[in-house]
Amino acid sequence: MIFAFAESRGTSLRKAAFEAISAARELGDDVHALVVGPSGIAASAQELGAYGAKKVFVCEHAGFAQYNPEATAALLAERVKVGGYRAVVFVSTAQGRDLAPRVAAKLGAAFAPDVTSVATSGDEIVVTHPVYSGKAIAALVLNGAPAVIAARPSTFQPARTDGASPSVETIAPVGDPSASRVVVTELKIGGGGKLDVSEAAIVVSGGRGLKGPEHFNLVEDLAASFGNAAVGASRAVVDAGWRPHSDQVGQTGKVVSPDLYVAVGISGAIQHLAGMRTAKTIVAINRDKDAPIFKVADYGIVGDAFEIVPALAAAVREARRSG
Amino acid sequence: MTPVAESLYLILLGLAAGFFFYNAQRLVEYLQLGRPDERTDHPLVRARNLISIGILQSKILRDPLAGAMHALVFWGFIVLTVGSVEILIQGVAPAFSYAVLLPAWLYSAYVISQKLFALFVLGAVAWLFYRRLVIRPKRLQGDKLEQWDALLILSMIAALMITLILMNGFGPVAAPVDWHDAMWWTHVLILLTFLNYLPYSKHLHVITSLPNVYLSNTSGPGTVGAMRPMDLEAEGVEQFGASDVKDLPWKNLLDGYSCTECGRCTAACPANLTGKVLSPRKIVINVRERLLEYGGMPTGLIHGEGEHAPDARLLDGYISEEELWQCTSCRACVQECPVSIDQLDTIMELRRNLVLMESRFPAEVQPAFQSLERNGTPWAFNAADRGQWAEGLAIHTMAELSAQGRRPEVLFWVGCAGSFDARAKKITVAFARIMQAAGIDFAILGQEEKCNGDPARRMGNEYLYQMLAKENIGTLNAYGVQTVVTICPHCFHQLGNEYPQLGGHYEVIHHSQYIERLMAEGRVPLSDDNRDERTFTYHDSCYLGRYNNIYDAPRRVLPVVNLVEPTRNKSRGLCCGAGGGRMWMEETQGKRINIERTQELLATGAEAIATACPFCMTMISDGVKANESPVPVYDIAEVVASRLSAGV
Amino acid sequence: MKIAVCIKRVPDTETRIKVAGTKIDETGVKFIANPYDEFAVEAALQLKQKSGGEIVAISLGPDSAQETIRTALAMGADRGVHLKTDGQPYDTLSVAQALAVELKGYDLILLGKMAIDDYNHAMAPALAEILGLPCVSAVTALTIDGAKGTAEREVEGGTEVLSFPLPAVISTDKGLNKPRLPTLPGIMAAKKKPMESKPAALGAARVTVRSLALPPERPAGRIIGEGAAAVPELIRLLQTEAKVL
Repeated sequence: MIFAFAESRGTSLRKAAFEAISAARELGDDVHALVVGPSGIAASAQELGAYGAKKVFVCEHAGFAQYNPEATAALLAERVKVGGYRAVVFVSTAQGRDLAPRVAAKLGAAFAPDVTSVATSGDEIVVTHPVYSGKAIAALVLNGAPAVIAARPSTFQPARTDGASPSVETIAPVGDPSASRVVVTELKIGGGGKLDVSEAAIVVSGGRGLKGPEHFNLVEDLAASFGNAAVGASRAVVDAGWRPHSDQVGQTGKVVSPDLYVAVGISGAIQHLAGMRTAKTIVAINRDKDAPIFKVADYGIVGDAFEIVPALAAAVREARRSG
Repeated sequence: MTPVAESLYLILLGLAAGFFFYNAQRLVEYLQLGRPDERTDHPLVRARNLISIGILQSKILRDPLAGAMHALVFWGFIVLTVGSVEILIQGVAPAFSYAVLLPAWLYSAYVISQKLFALFVLGAVAWLFYRRLVIRPKRLQGDKLEQWDALLILSMIAALMITLILMNGFGPVAAPVDWHDAMWWTHVLILLTFLNYLPYSKHLHVITSLPNVYLSNTSGPGTVGAMRPMDLEAEGVEQFGASDVKDLPWKNLLDGYSCTECGRCTAACPANLTGKVLSPRKIVINVRERLLEYGGMPTGLIHGEGEHAPDARLLDGYISEEELWQCTSCRACVQECPVSIDQLDTIMELRRNLVLMESRFPAEVQPAFQSLERNGTPWAFNAADRGQWAEGLAIHTMAELSAQGRRPEVLFWVGCAGSFDARAKKITVAFARIMQAAGIDFAILGQEEKCNGDPARRMGNEYLYQMLAKENIGTLNAYGVQTVVTICPHCFHQLGNEYPQLGGHYEVIHHSQYIERLMAEGRVPLSDDNRDERTFTYHDSCYLGRYNNIYDAPRRVLPVVNLVEPTRNKSRGLCCGAGGGRMWMEETQGKRINIERTQELLATGAEAIATACPFCMTMISDGVKANESPVPVYDIAEVVASRLSAGV
Repeated sequence: MKIAVCIKRVPDTETRIKVAGTKIDETGVKFIANPYDEFAVEAALQLKQKSGGEIVAISLGPDSAQETIRTALAMGADRGVHLKTDGQPYDTLSVAQALAVELKGYDLILLGKMAIDDYNHAMAPALAEILGLPCVSAVTALTIDGAKGTAEREVEGGTEVLSFPLPAVISTDKGLNKPRLPTLPGIMAAKKKPMESKPAALGAARVTVRSLALPPERPAGRIIGEGAAAVPELIRLLQTEAKVL
C-alpha cells in the first residue's frame, strides 16, 4: 500500500495532489491519499479517487485554513505508522519540500526529494534524482519501510483512471492544530492571479536580448496568446531588476519542466539551461545563430525578437482559434 | 645702513627664518605620520636621475617651449640663490661681497651671471604670464586658488628680478644709486616673504622637488612599474592599503609637497582626456591638502578641485571611489611628471584599501574575482579547456616532457586571453608557428597555468593576486623553469618584474623581443615575398612601452613596407583603456578610451593596425568596429607568421 | 543571542562534472561554501549586529570542511565546530542526527534551504523534527523580535507570512540578503578564531547512492528558419510534431 499526500490550498486541491497519486501508482495500485483543510475540503475526496486513489482520508479543521506544517506532519506520520504503508509520496512543491522531510524524520525513514522516476526492485525502492544543478542524475536506493519520496513537480502527469469511487474516511487531527507553533498568518497572492512558472504547462521566458524591461510586454503577450502560459525570466534580467525573482528560471531560480518552453532573447548560459532543459519541447528565438540555446532547443528561429514574437503570438492565437 | 635699520633687519631675518623653520619642521613631522618607506637603495641610479631629471630638467623639456622657459627660471633660481645669500649677508655687513672670497675673474663671472639670469628669468616670467593669461592652455585652467597661487608667484619672482636689476643694473647700465637701498630692502622683504609663502603654495616644490626626484622609484631604482610589495602575513598589521594620509608611505606624502600643479599628468591621462573625473593632479594635491589638514596646518592656496567635508579622510572625503576605478594604470601620469611623483602608487594603495579592507568595488568586478579564485581565469571559462588551442599542433606540455625526463629550452606562457579568447587564440597559434618554424624547443603549461594575477593586483585585490602568483611560482619552480616567453605584456610584466617579490625569478621575454632575437639569428624563415605592402600603424602597449621601455622591437619585427606613427606614440602613446583591471569594468562616463585611441590610429590613414597585446587587440578591434571601419587589426606575430615561407 | 549556522562544503557547480563511480571526479574541481548557507551566515551576522550574541559555524564533512568554516569565520562568525566524517555522507537524516547532537541550546539555528550538490532541500525541517523545534524553511524575509520571529517564504503564486517562537530552525533562500564579502582583516582574524573538531555521530543511513550518471544527451535541435517568415513552420511543428498546440 502506498500513501500519497494530496496538497490543497483553502478548499481546493492543487495539481500536486494528483501528481502525488500518479507517482504513488508507479509503486503499487493500492494508493491511499490524505487531504487536510478547512471545512469544505471533504468534497475533494471524490476527485482524488478519479485520479487513482482507492481510499481517501480527510481531516477537516479550521486550523488547516492555511498550511499548518506541524499539525499536518504529525497527522501524516501517525496515519502512516498505523497503516503500515510501503512508501509515502509527496510532490516537491514549496509545501512538499517543507513537509516531506518532517514526516521522514518522524518516521526515521529513507527520504528522497525532487524525484524524476520511481521503481521497485524486489524489496528496494530505487529513484532517480537530479543533482549538481541538473548536471548529473543520481540513482538512489531507499532502504526500509516506509520510504518517503517527494516527486519533482510536473514530472508525474496526473492520469484519470476508471476505477470505482474511493472509500472515504474522516479522521481527527493529532493534537490541536490551532496550537501549532509555526503559524501562517497570511497568504499574499502575488500579481493578481499570476500563474507561477513552476506550475504552468507552457512557459515563455525573456532574457537580455529584449534590451529593456519595457519590452517584456512582448513576452507577456506571447504567453497570453497560448492561453495559460506563465512568464519566466533569465537571471540576467532579474539581476537587472526588470523582473521579480519569483519569475527566474534557472539554477538559482526555479526549475521548470513544462510541456513547452519558449526562450526569447536568452543566450542559453548553463545556469539557465539547468532550470529548463527537461522541458518537453524547447523553442528558442535569438538574433545570434551561435547562441548556446540553439543547441538544446528543439526548434530555433534566428532573428529579431521584436519582429518574430508579435508574429508568433498572432499565429498562435489563430491556430488556437481554428484548431 | 643705520644701526636701527640693521637691528630691524636682524629681527626681520630672525622672524622670517624662525617662522620658516617652524613650518619646515612641521612639514617634516607630517611626513613622519606616514608609513615607513625604504629609499636608500641604488644610490648611483638615484644620483643619475637627480642630475638628468632634476638639474638638467629632462622631463620638463618634454614640452619644449614651456619646458625651456621653466628651465631658465630653474637654473636662474639656482644661480640667483647664490646671489641672494650675498644680499642677505649685506644686511649685517653692508660692505660684504663675494669679491672678498673669489678671485677677480670668478667674481666678474658671478656678477655677470646675476645680471644675465635676472634678465633671462624676467623674460621667461613675462612669457609665463602671457601663457597663463592669454594663451591659457587647458591643463592650467581649473582651480581658482591655483590660478592665484601661480600669479602671485610669478609676480613675486618678477618683482624679485626687477628689484635685483634695479639694485645692480644690467649690462653696462649702472643702477641708480639712491635706489639701491630701497631696492635692497624691497628685494629682501619679498625674498623673506617668498620663503615663508612656500609652505602655503605649490611653490614648495622649489625645496622638495630635487629630493623628491632623488628619492623617487619611478625612473630606475629597483623595478620600474612594479607595484609595491605587501606582506600579508606580517604580524600585527591591521591596515592594508590606504584610506587616509597616515596609511600612505611618507614618500607619497612628499609627492604631495612636490606637486607644482603643472597638470601634465592630467593632460596625459586617458581617463581625464575622455571626459572622466579622474585627475592624477587632483589626487596628489588632495594628499597634500589632507595631510596639512590632518596635521593642523593651514592649506593656504593649496586646493584640489571639488568640495571636501571638513576633517574627512582622504578616501571618500577628498578622493572618490569613482575616480579611483577610472584609472587604467597606463603610467602616462608618472611618465610626464617633471618631479618624479608616483601618482599611480597612491591610486593603487587606495584601491587596495577599498578591496581588502572595505570590500568595495564595482559590482561587475565580483564575477571576475570569483572566477579568478575558482577557475584561475578572470573570464568564466573552464580551467580544463586552457590548453585546447594547442590541439593538433604537436605542442607538448611541461608535464608531458617532464614525464619523459626532458626540459624544454623555453616555456611559452600563453596567458588567459591567449588561451580562451577566440580572437587572441589566433595570436597564440601564430606565435607558436613562428617558434616551430624557428625550431625552438618549447612547451606550455596547459591546464597547470593560472592567471598571472595582474587583474587582481591592479584592481587592489592583493590577497587574490598573491594566491594566484604563489601557485604559479610553485608550478614554475617545480619544473625548474628559467626562460619564459609570452605574448601578453601583462603576463610579461608580472612574471618578469613582480613575481620576484614572491620568489619567482625567471628570464622573461616578450614575443616581440623574442621574434627580433630569432630574426637576428636568422632562424625565422621568411618567404621571398616577405613584406606586407599595406601601410601599417603600430599601437604601443602601455605595459610594454611605458612600463618596460620596449618601443622598438615590435616596430622592427613588423615585416611591412611602410609604418606610420600616430600623433601620440611611444612614451606618449595613448592607452587602449583595458589596463588596471578596466577590461572587466563598465565605462560609464565620457567618451570611451578605446574609441578615442582607435580614431587616432585610423587618422594616420593606415590600411592596417598592429598591436602587441591581446587586450589592446580586443579594445582596438572594438574601436574599429564602432567606427565602422574596414581596417584590420593584427598582432605583430600574426603579420610575421603570414610572411613565413611556405611549408613551415 | 546564541546563533548556530550550518554550512556545507560543496563543489562549484559552474565547473564541468565528471562522474567517477558513485561520486564526482574531484580533480580540478573547486570547492566553495554552499551559496544558500552564505545567506544564513549573513542573516546571523545582521542579527548579531542588532542584538549582540555569539555565532557558531558548524560543518560536517572531512577535514576540508574546516576551510568552509573559516569562510564563515572570515565573514564574522565567532567560532567554529567541525564534525568530522570520512567523505561527505549523502543521507539527510543521518547527517541531521549528527548535527542535532551539536545544536542543543541555541536560540536560532540557520542554514541554507538546500545544498547545490545534492539538491535535497530537506535538512532544516528534518533537523527541527529531531530537535523538537519549530521550523520555517526557505525564508526570503526574516525578523526576530525578542523570543518571537516572523518570516516570509515563496509559494506557488504568492508569499506566505509566518510567525514562530524562538528557539527555531530557519533555512534561508535567495533574496533574503546579500552576503557580505570577507575583508582581508576578516580573513586574517579567521585564522585565529577557535575551531574544535570532533567525530560526527552519524545516524543510520537509509539512502544510498547506487549510481551517478550524466544526463542523456538531448538530440540536437534545429534552426528552422530566420525572422518572422519562420513562424508558420514553427506553428506547424508545434501542432504536428510536438503536439503542444
